[in-house]
Amino acid sequence: MCCSHSFEDKPLPGQKPEAFDISAVKGMKFFDPHVHMTSRTTDDYQAMADAGVVALIEPAFWLGQPRTGIDSFRDYYSSLVGWERFRSSQFGIKHYCTIGLNSREANNEALAEQVMEILPLFVYKDGVVGVGEIGFDDQTAAEEKYYRLQLDLAKEAGLPVQVHTPHRDKKHGTQRSMDIALEHGLDPYTVIIDHNNEETVKEVLDRGFWAAFTIYPFTKMGNQRMVEVVKQYGSERIMINSAADWGISDPLAVPKTAALMKLNGISAEDIELVTYRNAITAFAQSGQIDEADFGVNIDQSAKFEGNSILRGGQQPRVDKSSIIIS
Amino acid sequence: MFGYDREALQGELATIIQNNITTDAWAWLSQQGDITNTASFNATFAMMPRKTGKGLIHIAPEQAEQLNTIRPGFTIEGWTADRLGRVYLMLQADAIDQERYFAVIENLFLAAEMNELVALYSALPILAYPELWVKRCAEGIRSNIGSVLEAIMYYNPYPAEYLPEAAWNQLVMKAIFTDKQLDLITGLNERNNPELARILMDFARERGAAGRSVVPELWHLASPFTDAGIVNAVKQQYSTINTIN
Ligand SMILES: [Zn+2]
Repeated sequence: MCCSHSFEDKPLPGQKPEAFDISAVKGMKFFDPHVHMTSRTTDDYQAMADAGVVALIEPAFWLGQPRTGIDSFRDYYSSLVGWERFRSSQFGIKHYCTIGLNSREANNEALAEQVMEILPLFVYKDGVVGVGEIGFDDQTAAEEKYYRLQLDLAKEAGLPVQVHTPHRDKKHGTQRSMDIALEHGLDPYTVIIDHNNEETVKEVLDRGFWAAFTIYPFTKMGNQRMVEVVKQYGSERIMINSAADWGISDPLAVPKTAALMKLNGISAEDIELVTYRNAITAFAQSGQIDEADFGVNIDQSAKFEGNSILRGGQQPRVDKSSIIIS
Repeated sequence: MFGYDREALQGELATIIQNNITTDAWAWLSQQGDITNTASFNATFAMMPRKTGKGLIHIAPEQAEQLNTIRPGFTIEGWTADRLGRVYLMLQADAIDQERYFAVIENLFLAAEMNELVALYSALPILAYPELWVKRCAEGIRSNIGSVLEAIMYYNPYPAEYLPEAAWNQLVMKAIFTDKQLDLITGLNERNNPELARILMDFARERGAAGRSVVPELWHLASPFTDAGIVNAVKQQYSTINTIN
């Protein structure tokens, strides 16, 4: 997850968001390249599938409180490639992940050392499309050390890198992240710089990196601002994600932003690039993404067969307007 | 250590794999399996699909029969190349050092993704020290992932051969709860027992009370150990609420 900010300085949601009209983008396919499904309910998968999300990437990150032992890292990484991927598949959404040690937890060096030892066991796994999300939070020496080590790991494994940029001192942290990636000999075309804003996007694109934008209420990009960014910078090497996690966030941010772009006259072609195609192009450099895997078994009866999110005999779709629970 | 002719199985599987993956992939795979180099063994296991692909294995009827002769009940039909490659890798692992062998393979289970789990549970009938994997197998039955359960339940001779009765009964009940095809479970009739019949009849009454149906195989399994009158009485309960299956 990415809201490593504190809660005190965050305005509480005031008014209700505008009603989301999916019809503007009905029939379109979306790829959310950054969403922390571990912290979402199964209902969210259902809503995402209904809104056209056919695939997603879940980056390894912080669960809200520090992990105290190596086993909880192992279990977390295992859940990303195991249970979470299965849960996603039950809704016809192809689930990929990126694996890494996040910047916050790099500051516990004794534990970080142990994590570096088990990372090779996970980065080669099927469906792991990158090393991520890694980078800076506080911009400490320890964060830099493990960022560098993981860049080397990504290079060795031939995987793209998903870089989390810091909330505080963002512009400097973003520049530093790019400098270090280049120093380690990474091709900027294999590096996705995430959580950009109006202040960082130009340099990221100019230097040949991918620029990802997180549509996240109150703290990161709003989607009205996002529309303006695409109007100004076009659609090349730009991608949009929700980074939805355990905070007040929205797993439908990608389709909603697509709808808003449509209403604001952005071309269907550009919308497709920033909400679907670019993320695939960037992360497919891992050799782990095959579009033929998207949306398979979309048939409801087949999709839910043998699945155990549903308890004995429960039907896959529940009519929420009914008072009867059978 | 193995309880079957391991070398014969290695030879047979090698031929089948060579027919199903590229020459390059085979050149790579045939060099793997050094369990004393854990990091490399782990990486080989994880990256298998990148080398072998995930295509369905083709196998001649004679080959299938040959496998079944070497290791009764063992089949690879319907497997993908990566699944077979992973099982072959484990078969290559030197099992002399029991402690290391167990630790390395158990660690693969602990860090496995779904397809890896399928391969690992598929390997149970051919692993060394079969009695060592009983707890692991019972743990696998607690999985909520359909494909993993199927790897344990379908065409897998290990559970029927090694699970104690309680764990076996859990396997059957889990299969019923998750709508699995009971007829694909190896040893279903051979391992049928009075305790399972009691559990099944209780389950049938519970389902009846909830107005739900049960699979017809339930009656078949319960009947040999249950008074015919009781079976009929429970069935009768179903007919009155009209949900008999
Ligand atoms: Zn995140």
